[in-house]
Parts: sequence; C-alpha cells; structure tokens
Amino acid sequence: MKSIYKLVLPYLFWLFLLIVIPSIFIILATISTFHIFNDYDFRLTLDSLRFLQDSIFLNAFRNSIKYAGITTLICFVIGYPVAYYFARSESKNKTLYVALLIVPIWSNMIVRIIAWENIFKPVSIINLFNLSFDLIGRDSAIIIAMVSMYLPFMIFPIYAVLDKMDDALVEASRDLGASASQTFFKVTLPLSLGGIVSGVIMTLLPAMTAFALPERLGGGTIILLGNLIEKEIFRGSFNIAATVSFVVMIVMLGLFMLIIRFDKEGETLL
Amino acid sequence: MKKHLLGTILQILLTVFTFFIIYLPIIIILLISFHDSQYNYNDFGFTFRWYGEILNDRPLMDAIFVTLQIAILSTMISTVFGTLFAIGIHSLRKKSRLKVMVLNNVPVVNPDIVTGIMLFMIFRFIRISFGFPTMLLAHIFFSIPFVILSVLPKLKSLDPNLFDAALDLGATKLKAILYVIVPSIKIGMLAGALIAFTMSIDDFIISYFMKQGEFHNVSTLIYSRLGKRQISPSVFAYNSVVVVLTVGIMITFNRMNRINKKVKGERL
Repeated sequence: MKSIYKLVLPYLFWLFLLIVIPSIFIILATISTFHIFNDYDFRLTLDSLRFLQDSIFLNAFRNSIKYAGITTLICFVIGYPVAYYFARSESKNKTLYVALLIVPIWSNMIVRIIAWENIFKPVSIINLFNLSFDLIGRDSAIIIAMVSMYLPFMIFPIYAVLDKMDDALVEASRDLGASASQTFFKVTLPLSLGGIVSGVIMTLLPAMTAFALPERLGGGTIILLGNLIEKEIFRGSFNIAATVSFVVMIVMLGLFMLIIRFDKEGETLL
Repeated sequence: MKKHLLGTILQILLTVFTFFIIYLPIIIILLISFHDSQYNYNDFGFTFRWYGEILNDRPLMDAIFVTLQIAILSTMISTVFGTLFAIGIHSLRKKSRLKVMVLNNVPVVNPDIVTGIMLFMIFRFIRISFGFPTMLLAHIFFSIPFVILSVLPKLKSLDPNLFDAALDLGATKLKAILYVIVPSIKIGMLAGALIAFTMSIDDFIISYFMKQGEFHNVSTLIYSRLGKRQISPSVFAYNSVVVVLTVGIMITFNRMNRINKKVKGERL
C-alpha cells in the first residue's frame, strides 16, 4: 500500500492551515501588537503578557484549576471503579450498559446545563417532588454539574484499556502469590495508566475551559478561563484573548506530551 | 473473600450513582417537556403542547434546519475525506505515521474554546464569510480526526497484501480503494460517521465562534435566548425528540452490527 501515501498531503495542508497557522497567530498576538481585525504597527511588546499578572486573570486561573481539579478528582474516584466493574462484568449486556453512558451526551449540552440550573434554583420543576434547592452561585452547583457532564469521558478510556487487558496477567500475579490488592496496584493499575491519562485530559481540559456552565450555575459571578477568553474576544481585546488561550494551550501541550508517552496513536482517545 | 464482596458492593453503588447523576438532567428535561406550565410547579399537568409548539417556533425551526444541514453535510464530507486520509496515513512508515497522528489528535484534545478561537482567527484572516460556510468547515474540521481514529484500527487489521493484489489483478488505485478496501473497513467508517454526526448536532462552543448575526444552530440559539430569558419548554421537547431518535439510530446500528457479526464474524 506504499503507493497511496500521497492521500495524506491534502490533510497535512489542511492541518497546517487550521492548526499550525492559527497557533502561530496566537503566539504572535501574545508577544506583539499583531492583530487580525485592525490595522496595527507591528512591534514586539509584553503588554498582553502583563495581563497574566492581573487579578482578573489570576482569579480565573485559580477558579479553573480549583473547579476542574476537584471535578477531575471526583470523576476519577467514581469513574475508575465503575470502569473496572464494567470491564470485569461477565454480563452479555455489558456493551449495552456502556452505551447507556453515552445516551446523556447526545442530549444538547446547553439544555443539560439549563436542566441543572433548574434543579439548583428555588422555584423549579423539582418542586413537584417537594424538593427545593438554592445553590446557584455555590461551588457545589458547579462541581456537581461538571461531574455529571464529564464523568462519562473519564469512564470510557479507562474502560477501554481495562477491557482489552489480558485476564491471564491478573491470574498469573495471583498464582505467583500476590494478594488481591497487590495485584491491583502492581498489575492492573499500571497497565491502565494510559486510559487514566486520557480520561484525566478529557475531563480536566473541557472543565477548565467551560464557559456556559460556570456562567449559568455560577450566577454570573464565577469566572473561569473559558469565560475570560469568550468575553475578551467579543469585546475586541484580541491580544488579551490570545494570551489567555496561549496559557490554556501550554497546559494542553503539557498534558498532550503525557498522552503521547502512553498512547502514541491516540487509540484511547475514542 | 469478604473484602472482595465489599469492593463489589462499592463498585455497584458507584455505578448506580453514576447513572443517577448523568441521567438526572435528562429526566428533568423530559419532565419539563411534558409539564403544562412554565411557572406553576405545584401539581404535574401532562401535556404534549410543547412538542406541537416546536413547529410554531420559527427561529427554532430554522435553527433545527441549519443544525441538520450542517450535521448531514459535515458527516458525509468528513467520512469520505477522513477515510481517504486514514488510508493515506496507514500507508506511511511508522515514524511519519506517528507524527501525522500527533497533529491529527490535536483537535481531539484541544479544548473546544481554543479550537473555536483558532478557527475564528484563520477564517477572519482569509476572509471567509461567517455563518453557514464557516460553521460547516469548522464541523468538518473537528469531525475528520474522529473518523480517522475509528477507521485506522480497521485498516490495521486488513491483510496488507490486499491492496497490492487488487492492483496486480488490474484494478486502478481508485477502484482498489472503492471495491477492496472500503468494503472491509465500512464498520469503522460507519462508527466514525456516527460520532461525527452526534458531535455536530450537539456542538455549541465551536459553533458559537462561527456565528453571524441571526444565523444560529440549535445550541447557539438556545444560548442566545438564555440571555434574553425566553426559554420555552419547546426547546426541552426538541431535545427529548433528539435523544429518543439517537437512541433509536444507535439500537438499529447495534442490531445491524450484530447481524453483520453473525454473517461475517466481523468485530466492531
């Protein structure tokens, strides 16, 4: 099949145009007066980078780490045992149960966010069950909704690696005298590391950069990096938006390096 | 053994909790779509009214039309091109294949908002008119990597001599791809197309950066209405219809796949 490698060339061009060039734009806009809408005199400047010391940015950054970090941790603590349970299950309907985790994702994200908003505001449909919460603007509202949104994305990759794992390895470990917990920590867990890394990334990054969710459930006062980027770009502060995106890209690149170490072709990303 | 049992119980409890927390919003959406009042939550009043109301909501109908158009077009285009690109990537040597795959996986891992900003900048820069064209291109952009990721494993399990055999027997390259490779990887293509379609009809963040004036897909329309506080339960009704339809498609796909498996012993 060597003769058809040329099919890749248009794809490389496409990726170059839509990933590499815009990345260069983001970097340029971060360190210079580069602008795509306005006329400008090109000169290098650290003005935009200075925004990274601004309390608005620091606050958004802290919030992003806090909410995304807690959400990812909860998703992992819940998601790993669930993935393990599904992978170990001998049930014929195993794939059906896993498929049932996908169904809620098909529901529109914004509509699901409004549903959570309804659950957490005092007057809402859940009054029908004599329940009423008043949690909008609280940390718990944001974290619960985030866990609900991103938990499946933690479970899928971990399930994928655990399901493919050879049971004989576990049996061999037991036969050689390791206890159940030793087997888990020395065999199962290290072998599922690739899935864990993918799961953490698929949860952490979207949670860090969410903007509709914190906007609705934070009652307008809790700002994450996503809210900051959205606000600045539509206000016309192109360089500031690019600088914040640049920070997010650096976090992404760091995590991406991790993925490449464990899973070269991205097989756990699906 | 007792410890084992405890662990299993804990796993079952967490599984139940998982289903509870991810299905709770879906149940709320269904409830709102069947409840007859937007303001009175003292007693439940069953109604189908909001489902009928979808048809009277012009902007919502327009947005649904846009969403479907974009989803169908972007799925078709990204499945065809994604498959061709995957065939090309598969034919590369391991080292260059890994390099291309790193680039391919960037849009998969990239947070939607950064992808949105990147596309927004490049489309503004090359002056494509915002609205339908940019939204379509953006959806093709984020769909292709998923098609490639689902087609590649199928290509890997193919006999590497298959393609050369077809050429030796006198097929052109195009014919060899169409009549020999494509039939053997069509399950992967179908899976990729399904992912592309569902991601397209749900997409909010990337589409939000492609918007232009009153041009909306369903997600951006709902979001813009949130700001103006005019969410009618018909939005929830629409969402319920979509969920039920996708579940239906998924079950059919699963059945087809099972029949396929029985006939050909193929694995998904």
